[in-house]
Amino acid sequence: MIQFKNIVKSFGPKPVLNDVSFDVPTGSVFFIIGASGVGKSVLIKHLVGLLYRDSGEIWLDDEDISKFDESRMGAIRKKCAMVFQHSTLFDSMTCAENVALPLRKHKHLSLREALAEARERLKVVRMQEFADRYPPEMGDGMRKRVAIARALTVDPKYVLFDEPTTSLDPVSARRVDALIRELSDKLGVTSIVVSHDLTSLFAIADRIVMLYRGKVRLQGSRADFKSTEDGVVQQFIHGRATGPFEL
Amino acid sequence: MAAEAVGAWFLEIAETTGAMTVLLAKVLARLVPPRVDARELVKNLYKMGVRSLPIVAVTALFTGAIMVIQAATIVKRYGAEGLLGWGAGFGTLREIAPLLTALMISGRVGANNTAELGTMVVTEQLDALRVLAIDPISFLVAPRFIAIVSTLFMMTLFADALALLGAAYTGDALLGVSPTTFYNGLTSGLLNFGDVATGLVKSVVFGLVIALTSCHFGLATKGGAPGVGRAVNATVMASAAGIFVLDYLTSFALGD
Repeated sequence: MIQFKNIVKSFGPKPVLNDVSFDVPTGSVFFIIGASGVGKSVLIKHLVGLLYRDSGEIWLDDEDISKFDESRMGAIRKKCAMVFQHSTLFDSMTCAENVALPLRKHKHLSLREALAEARERLKVVRMQEFADRYPPEMGDGMRKRVAIARALTVDPKYVLFDEPTTSLDPVSARRVDALIRELSDKLGVTSIVVSHDLTSLFAIADRIVMLYRGKVRLQGSRADFKSTEDGVVQQFIHGRATGPFEL
Repeated sequence: MAAEAVGAWFLEIAETTGAMTVLLAKVLARLVPPRVDARELVKNLYKMGVRSLPIVAVTALFTGAIMVIQAATIVKRYGAEGLLGWGAGFGTLREIAPLLTALMISGRVGANNTAELGTMVVTEQLDALRVLAIDPISFLVAPRFIAIVSTLFMMTLFADALALLGAAYTGDALLGVSPTTFYNGLTSGLLNFGDVATGLVKSVVFGLVIALTSCHFGLATKGGAPGVGRAVNATVMASAAGIFVLDYLTSFALGD
């Protein structure tokens, strides 16, 4: 279980998150939606210690991790993997080497064993044919699937996806959606997905929270979002240009 | 306004020096007990060391030759052919080989190191490493640090030998001083191990300067592709300035 309690975060004089609180149920596909720049990515980066809150608490499996320093975050990062918006594969390594790296480091496999295991992991995301390619030689969708395979090497309980379908073609985007859904259904992984891809949202989300002007505007199921009378939420989920939604 | 600018400049220098000291402490903490990625170390030793051999060889051979060309007039005028080996050896071993090798390695390896680390920072590859629970200092920085210092030490030894070879054969071709006479001048007792050691101590100091500046400015990169450009520029400037300042201080300290 992940709980955000009264999170406040500012960058200099600019407040980004203002008293944000919500719970992420275990095993769910949980979407965080909102306009660009509202602080969705900022919020999930707190979970892996890439950013630290100004005040509030972040609970992960009965531990308040908001005060953990870099040395204590190691254990959390093995439990809570992250797939970045731009994949962030290491350009100097092949896809197989990218996936093999955490296997070498955390499962203490030899290079040969780690590469063999990496090829198996790439099969899961249907990227085994591209194991020896370097990331700059591949498209966004392919890189994203390799990044997912790499994130899963540490057998995480939680996976954070930052805009997983942005810049992907519709077919690649739906494949990534299916992969996220499978993680939850087959492996019981809790996925937190930051996105404004409405097709993904209404296809795979179990629970949704919408951030608006630094605060939680609405949280609930897909049905709750469809049936709400909140004009701001309705304008956002229907992608209308006019209405009460302010940027 | 001028006072404010000077103050800001001093603050920036103090901040950079402080950050480099912290980085050095972090790297040293990974050396005892060793927590350095061996595969990355070997990869960097090859990339930085082995692939620098051609450019260092060309620089060293021609540097030795140039020293003889510059000395030729005086050597001929005073008939001091027997001192040619000592003259070339003294300047090369103590000063020219470590200094020019450091400047070559700074341009080739230091700038490249900053560009690589800087690109990894701006494309969030460094954050990705942290999120995979892999320590970027142990995995990325410490291997590069060791590789740069070792490369400069070994390349200086290599440059010493090649520069003397270049000097010996140029002396033969231009002044008719045989390689044997050159060798005798070199080993006549006027030069000793201390002269070689001075150059090698300098190479380690210069290696530390290049490693620290290139890793620091790479890790501190901000602002996308223009930021990488600025970081590389800062590395080249700071390395060159650091090398000359520390050359002066080391020469002064090791004197004699």
